Order: sequence, then C-alpha cells, then structure tokens
Amino acid sequence: MDINYVPTICPYCSCGCGMYLVIRDGMIIGQEPWKEHPVNEGANCPKGKNAYQYIYSEDRLKMPLVRKNGAFQEVSWGEALDLIVTQLREATPEDFGFIASCRNSNEDAYVMQKFTRVVMGTNSVEYCGRLCHSPAAAALIPAMGSGAMQTSQPEIELADCIFVAGVNLQETFPLIARRVSRAKAKGAKVIYTDPRNTATARYLADIHLQLKSGTDAALINAMMSIILAEGLENKDFIASRAAGFDELRNFLSKVDLKQAEEITGVPLEKMREAAITYAKAERGCILYDQGISQHYVGTDNVRDHANLALLCGHAGKPGSGINSMRGQINGEGSGDMGCLCVFYPGFKRVGEETAKFFEEAWGVANLPTKPGLTYIDMLYKCPYLYIVGGDPMMAVPDVNNVKKALEKANFLVVQDIFPTEIAKLAHVVLPAATWVEREATHTWIDRRVQKVNRVVEPPGETKPDWWIICQLAEKMGYKDKFDFASAGEIFEEIRSCVPQYKGITYDRLENKVGGIHWPCPSEDHPGTPTMFLQKFNTPDGLGHFQVVEFKPPAEVPDDQYPYVLTTGRSIFHYHTGAMTRRTPRLVDEVPRGFVQVNPEDASKEGVKDRDTVVLETRRGSIEAEARITDEVRPGLLFIPIHFPDSCANALTISALDPSAKCAETKVCAVKIEVKR
Amino acid sequence: MKGDMYLAWSSDDEVVKRADSGGVITSLLKFALDSKRVDAVLAVKARDGNRYDGIPVLISDPEEMIDTAGALHCVSVNIPRCIKEYLNGASDMKLAVVGKPCDMRGIIELVKREQINLDNLLLVGVNCSGTLSPVVAKETILKEFGVDPLDVVGEEIEDGSLIITLKDGTTKTKDLKELEEKDYGRRENCRRCEVKIPTMADIACGKWGVNSRKASFVEVCSDKGAQVFDEAVRAGYINVEPPNHKAIEERKRKEQEAIESALQWQETEFAPLKNIAVEEKFDYWQRQFSRCVKCYGCRDACPICYCKDCILEADRGAIEPGELPPTIMFHLIRIAHVMDSCVNCGQCQDVCSAGIPLARLTFMLNKELFDIFKYEPGMDVESRPPLRSVTDKELTMPGVELSF
Repeated sequence: MDINYVPTICPYCSCGCGMYLVIRDGMIIGQEPWKEHPVNEGANCPKGKNAYQYIYSEDRLKMPLVRKNGAFQEVSWGEALDLIVTQLREATPEDFGFIASCRNSNEDAYVMQKFTRVVMGTNSVEYCGRLCHSPAAAALIPAMGSGAMQTSQPEIELADCIFVAGVNLQETFPLIARRVSRAKAKGAKVIYTDPRNTATARYLADIHLQLKSGTDAALINAMMSIILAEGLENKDFIASRAAGFDELRNFLSKVDLKQAEEITGVPLEKMREAAITYAKAERGCILYDQGISQHYVGTDNVRDHANLALLCGHAGKPGSGINSMRGQINGEGSGDMGCLCVFYPGFKRVGEETAKFFEEAWGVANLPTKPGLTYIDMLYKCPYLYIVGGDPMMAVPDVNNVKKALEKANFLVVQDIFPTEIAKLAHVVLPAATWVEREATHTWIDRRVQKVNRVVEPPGETKPDWWIICQLAEKMGYKDKFDFASAGEIFEEIRSCVPQYKGITYDRLENKVGGIHWPCPSEDHPGTPTMFLQKFNTPDGLGHFQVVEFKPPAEVPDDQYPYVLTTGRSIFHYHTGAMTRRTPRLVDEVPRGFVQVNPEDASKEGVKDRDTVVLETRRGSIEAEARITDEVRPGLLFIPIHFPDSCANALTISALDPSAKCAETKVCAVKIEVKR
Repeated sequence: MKGDMYLAWSSDDEVVKRADSGGVITSLLKFALDSKRVDAVLAVKARDGNRYDGIPVLISDPEEMIDTAGALHCVSVNIPRCIKEYLNGASDMKLAVVGKPCDMRGIIELVKREQINLDNLLLVGVNCSGTLSPVVAKETILKEFGVDPLDVVGEEIEDGSLIITLKDGTTKTKDLKELEEKDYGRRENCRRCEVKIPTMADIACGKWGVNSRKASFVEVCSDKGAQVFDEAVRAGYINVEPPNHKAIEERKRKEQEAIESALQWQETEFAPLKNIAVEEKFDYWQRQFSRCVKCYGCRDACPICYCKDCILEADRGAIEPGELPPTIMFHLIRIAHVMDSCVNCGQCQDVCSAGIPLARLTFMLNKELFDIFKYEPGMDVESRPPLRSVTDKELTMPGVELSF
C-alpha cells in the first residue's frame, strides 16, 4: 500500500486556500489540512472540505458528444472538432462569440481569447466576470487605476475598521471572515451593509446598515456628507493623492440626510455611527462584492465606495483600500488574460495601438481593433457561440428569454465537465479535464497567482481546455500560433506579453507556498501584496473622485408584484451549483432551492414554513420551498442562485449597467403565492 | 527489557551526521525494515526539504529512512488520523510509527475504540517540548529573530528558550515565555501539554539527559519495544551505553520543569474561562460558536472521533441541515463524545475555520473529568475511557436515558 499527500489549492471561491489531497492508486481518497498555506493555515470551509467529490460524479462528461437527429451521440475528438471547424468557417467575425469562465485556468483563458482574436477575428470574447465584477474595472480604473483587490488577504487583519459592503462574508468567504474576526479581536470595528440579517450581520458586524436593496449610493452619499460635516475627511490625503474633491463636496452639500434615511431605510444615527467609525479609523478596509455591483447602477455604487475610501484616505496602505472580492477560482485571472471584449491581456484597452502590440507579439496581422460584444449581448446576437465552463442558462438574468435566443443559434459548442443546463441546448459538447486533472495557474482574489498540479489522470477522453482550443486552432490553420505542448509553454507566452506576470515563473510558483501577487515585474521581484503604496495607477497618479447621483432600482414593487426579490449564495453551494450539487454532503445540507420570507409576509400570504410556493415576476415564475425567517425584513424575499429547479434567474431583470453591462440581479419586483 | 534506559546512537556515520540526536530512531527503524519486523514505517518528512511543511510518508525501502532524519518543530501532522483513515488502522500491515506523545496517545485511544490494531504497531515516541504552527513559526522567526525563515536549518526548544540554527551554523536564542506572551511561539495546546516523554509508546527517545552528546536518551517502555531494540543493538545498528545517574536526573529535572511550565499555562488559559460568571458563561460560548461555518474540520481532525455514520451529519436528523451557524448542540454533542479522552493534540483548533478555541475548551473539560474519573487518556491501553465504562447500574438509574 502506498499513500501520498499532495498539496493543491481549493477549486471553489477565490480565497485560494491550500489543502492536501491524499492519493492512493491514482485516486483521491481524502483530504487533509495544509497548515503552512498562508491563506487558510490548515482550515477549509464546508465546500473546501469536500473539494474533490465532484470530480468523481457519475455523470462527468467523458466523451465528445454531437447532436444527431435531436439526440447526443458519442463521437471521437476528430469528428467533433472537424464538425466545429466546418461550422466556424461559416461564421463572420460579427457572428461569433466566445464565452470563457472564471473556472478556466490562466493558460486556458489566454488561449481562448487568442483564438477568438486571431482565428475568428473578433474581440467578442467574454467571461462570467462580466456578470459580477465588471463594475470594478469600470469604476476603479478611472478612480485608482485598477479594478483588482488592493490589499492582500493577510493584511486585512491590520485594519481597524472593516467595511463589508454587500458581501455576506461568513457564507461566501469564510476564511476572510476569520481574518475579520481576528481583526475584531484586536479591536477593529466591522460595518456591514446588507438588506438581509445574515449570519454576517448577526455575528460578525458591529454596525449593520440594513438598507433597502439597491440604495447603496444614497447611503454612501449620506455617510460622506456626514464625514464632511464633522470635518473628518482626510485633508492631507485629499490634497496630496486625490483629484476632483471640489465637485464631490459641492454635490454632497446638497445631500438631504432625512431623504437618505427614507430612501435607504437606515436610521440616520446608524449612518452617522458608521460614517464616523470608518472616517476615524487609522486603516479602513472596504471589502465589497455583488451586493453593490449586481445592479444597473453597479458601477455607480463602486465609484461611490471608492469616493468614500479616498475621502478618508483609506487607500494605498496595507490593509486598506476598496477591494473587489471576486468569487471564483480564476475570477481575477480570466480577466487578466483578456477574456473581455474591451481588453486584450494585461488590461490593455482594445484599440489600434493595442492591436498593433499584439500583432507584433503574436506574429499575426489584422487583429480586431473595435470592442466586441459583451456577454449578454453575445447570447442574443451571435449565431455561432462557443461556451466554456459556464452556464448562462443559470447565471444570466431572464433565462427564459436567453433560452429562446439560444434555441435559434446556428451553432452552439459547450465545453464543460458536466451536462449543464446550457449543454442541453448545444450542438456539440466537449468533455474537459478539471482542476487537479491538469497542470495550470489561477489568479485568486488578491492577485495571488498559484499553481495547481495534475495529481490524477483525466477520466475517459477528457482533455485540458487549452488543449482543445489549440487543436481547434490547428485545424483552422493556425498551428504555428497555437503550438503549445504544455500549460507551462502557454504561461511563458503570457509572461512575455502581460507585464503584471512578467516575473512569475512555474519554478517560482512551485517553491513559494501561497504563490505570488501580481504585479511582479521581474524574476527577483517578490510580488506586490499591497497596491498603490506610492501613487495610484491613473495617468496622473492621483485618486479620482467621481460624483454619483443615487438612482432607484430599475423595477420597484407595485400592486401586481408587491415584493422585492434579491438573490445570493449559500455557504454550502457554489454559483450555478454544477459542482456542489454533485457533492453529497453539501446536498444533504441544502438539497433544493428555497425562498426566505418574513413571518409577517408569510402570514399575509398564507404561507407556512416548508410550503412550496410559486414566485412570479414579469419574466417568469419558479417554485421554491418557503423558509420563514426574520433574516429578511417585511417586503423582501431572498432566493439562492444555485438550483436549476428553482432558478433565480428565471425571475431576475435584465436591466444592464450602462458602463459595465452587469445586470441588476439583486433587485426586482416579485409576487409570491402558495402552490395550489 | 521493559524499563531499560540507554544512551544510544546510530552506528552509521552518515545517519549520525544527518540526524539531530545521534540518529538512533533512523537506525532502529532501518533495522525494523531490514529485518522485516515491520512492513513499513510511518514517519513525518519535510516536503521538498521545507522545514515548515511536513507530510506523513509510508516508507518500506530501508534506504529511504534517512530522508526522515531530524526533528521538525514547525509541523503538526495528524498521525493517528492517517493510520485510521488511510492505512486501514494497520489491520493488514505491520507498521512502525514515529511520533510525538500526543500522536502516540491518539493512537492508543483509537486502539481502545478498535480502529487501530495495536498488535501490528511498533510505537516509537519522541520527547516533545512543543511544536509551532508553520505560519506563526515563520512570523516569529522573521519578526522576533529578524531572520529569513528560509535561512533556518534547525530549531530547538530547550530550558525555556527557542533556539534556531542558521545555515551558517550560528544559533539565535529567544525566551519562549516572552515570545508566547506576544502570541508567537508554540501552539497553544503544546504550551499547556504536560506529557513530554512518550512512555506510553514502545520506545521513548529524546535528548534530555544526553548532555550535548550526539546521542539520544532511550527508555524502553514495553516488552515489544525491548525485543526490537535489543535486536537492533545486537545486529549492530545501534550503539548503547548505560546512562549515568546524572543523565537520568537531568532528564527527570528537564521533564519536571517542562511540566511545571505547562501547568502554569493551564492556569493562565483556564482561569479566565473558569472565572466567567455563571450567567455569562453560556453567552460567552454561544458567541464563540456563533462564528462556526459547519465545516466539520474539528470532527474530522479529532483523533478520538471515529464513527462512520456520525450523528452530526446533515442527514442524521440531530442537527438542522443547512443552518448557519449550526445550533450550539452541534458543538456540545461533539465535545461530549470526545472530551473524556481528549489528548490535547490541538488538531481541532488548528483547523477551525472560525478560530474557535475548541482544544482549549475540550482539554479544560477533560481535566475536570480527570478529577472525577482519574482517567488519563492515551496513557494505558488497558484502561477504559469513562464514556465506555458506563455500568448497567448507571444506565438504569432514574433519569438516565441513553438512546444510541
């Protein structure tokens, strides 16, 4: 008998926790703590503790599938790829769209955008970052020069005020919640904005601002106006490191606090307490997530939180800043690699100059210079779609409408590990190797690049995502541009054209527990845990205030749809649920979709706990199990996003943020009734 | 024979050079493998030579024994769990196991629960003055010693000091108590641990009493241990000499001092918990447990815990599934199941996603139980844990209803 403890990084959220897998006879038989890992020091959350179960799920895709006479048939790689090539040759650049994933590795994502740009001639390549954190780039690049997290996870413990903005930290980032409680133990105060009275509100927060969904900007404007009235703004910081303060001050002078109280539903005294606590802190750290970004005003919300950070000088030092908390294993990396229709790799904005740079770097001509289509637009507009590792039929608002559009698509390729909802609509389904079945790097929440090694054989005919794309490129006649024999060779090319990654090598990653934070400009550079220490990454090096006017949600309750619906996550599941719904222990915890209903509303609607109820919006209706709880206030309903049978996005509204094209999945109007 | 004591060292020069204290364990285990007394050795090895990352390795090639030579103070591998979970409880192989006193004690508790087959084990225990969490160790070395952790080639805990040896051969020393008052230094459970010499193993080895000689002080603690050790000596793997009176006294004194310090730590840690006013106690623990994210890390890490079908699982009906935080009963049930046998290994607290002082609570309760039952967990394979020795009379007392 032989056993091997092999280190790896958790495949779930973007903390990037370490763990040991125990391997016997080529199978993973258990997992053990990796105590040296700086992110989690041996602890793993419920998902992390069951990290590998899904890879052994019986319904793993193991063979390429092609739809013939309405049904899927197993075919060889050759046949599947030939069919795709024949179809893609029909597509014009305007016809084609590629959707990559936050679950791809950096190497996968890099090859996918290169394929789209070089082979298909379009910038229409996106990933699911568009649906959650696109407001980060739209708001924070102008404000500070980068949309990435600004401090490192361990540094959060240095903060003496942590503003947890719209992120149910205890459930969505448990190992960051532990850091926050460590900071609390040293005296830090925790401010939390969330319409729900979550575990985070009850047990982690000192000040819970239980605002009405979608009123974040009104709240932040009020807080900033209080800070100015109290004279608590950081005058030195504003003078030396920020620009545009006068406009902000003029705007804030018109803020009516009474009105803000009405809009947000947060008592003025609480706003004041939060404002003063944050302003007086030595080191204020804003951690934010989809609670503020998944709105049609998501970019505005992020801008306003950035204003607050700049106003108080809480940026550019360890343990401070405004930190976007990407929720997936490669939420940062797939964006870094250029899977966005407006950015080439390294966040080089699409345009003549950038195209020229990459034409030289890649030895090609005629790279596209105009922005491509965004994620949701592609679904509606591209007759040829290639979708990898994501499930728009779960993740995109108003899925009923999406389905109608996709059913009309000429050709849909889905490359995944399971028969997901979107795979059911595909013409070709390709089986991908996952996580520890291949070698690759990912970039986690705090720009932390780590390497995951292959520790088990990929099952059946499954292949690494990058391999599949390279095969396709070869068949399309681009062998010399995609001549990669390993992920390591792709990473070398990434280093050559993405300056943030230049100093990172496979060797260094192999020997550095916890990985390296980009930017890392050279091989002797230790990496950058904290950004903007000297100056911001804007053209003038200053932080820029951007005035934000509050706008109400796109759809508010009325007589017909009298409740507000908001959506979110459970600690026991992960996003579209493809992995966690195949993990028995997690299914035992939460087996199906549910809706949280306040007791008052429940009695009004005659709903009893565990009743099956029907939820209906102008877009569609679903059934779910009622959970009567005071986690939600009267008038608010909450559903988790993980369950196809109670698909949250059958209900949500496709109101898009004009700058970021992120959708308002956090607020819409809904009605509820007991199923008859 | 059982009770014998020796100063011992390896007869292999290469081993003496690479090991810390004369390499007696390395050579003893090499003998055990060579002579086929065991099929394999379970030991801890620095992964890729990294002192801050230890993994258990199963060695069947005697030549590989040398790779595990030398002490690692900055790792705390869960050895009992490894045997129980991944090696079928040593039911189908003869295994020599090297470990600290808490590892040995965890194994013995699992033997009592019929999860590990003691007949197949040779337990080689190593004296232990404590271990450091790797993350804290690196921080201690960087911030308090002003040294790059990668420059450290050895650590030692001796006479109340933490001593590190650097690549260039120099050493640096810091007072352990001062470090620990700043939350640096050893893991919390190690500070309060009073079992320093693993006499519950078959053979206990350590450096106390060797007076800086390149040798180990060996106490043979069982007949099984005596047989293997004597044969290894006869076969020429190990050199021995009897310890003089001074060496024995010195060992005893050092052990006593370490125990004294542990008892002080117990006082320091437990007093604030015990002194919480009764009416506030529940609130205090409720607050601690309210951070729980139900990862089951504590349960899985506990070397005492073994049920295949655990009552705490979401599908068993005892704990409401999907609720966060879980009811406080989740913790109370778990602790009630293990506290009579807690060996203070600290594994539960090491892996707690919420930073709850679980080991502190469980060990404190265990101490309370000791006063009642006089049961010392993991020390004697013959004595039965209180939870397992409930009498029929006790079971039929009015008001006692057990429903398992």
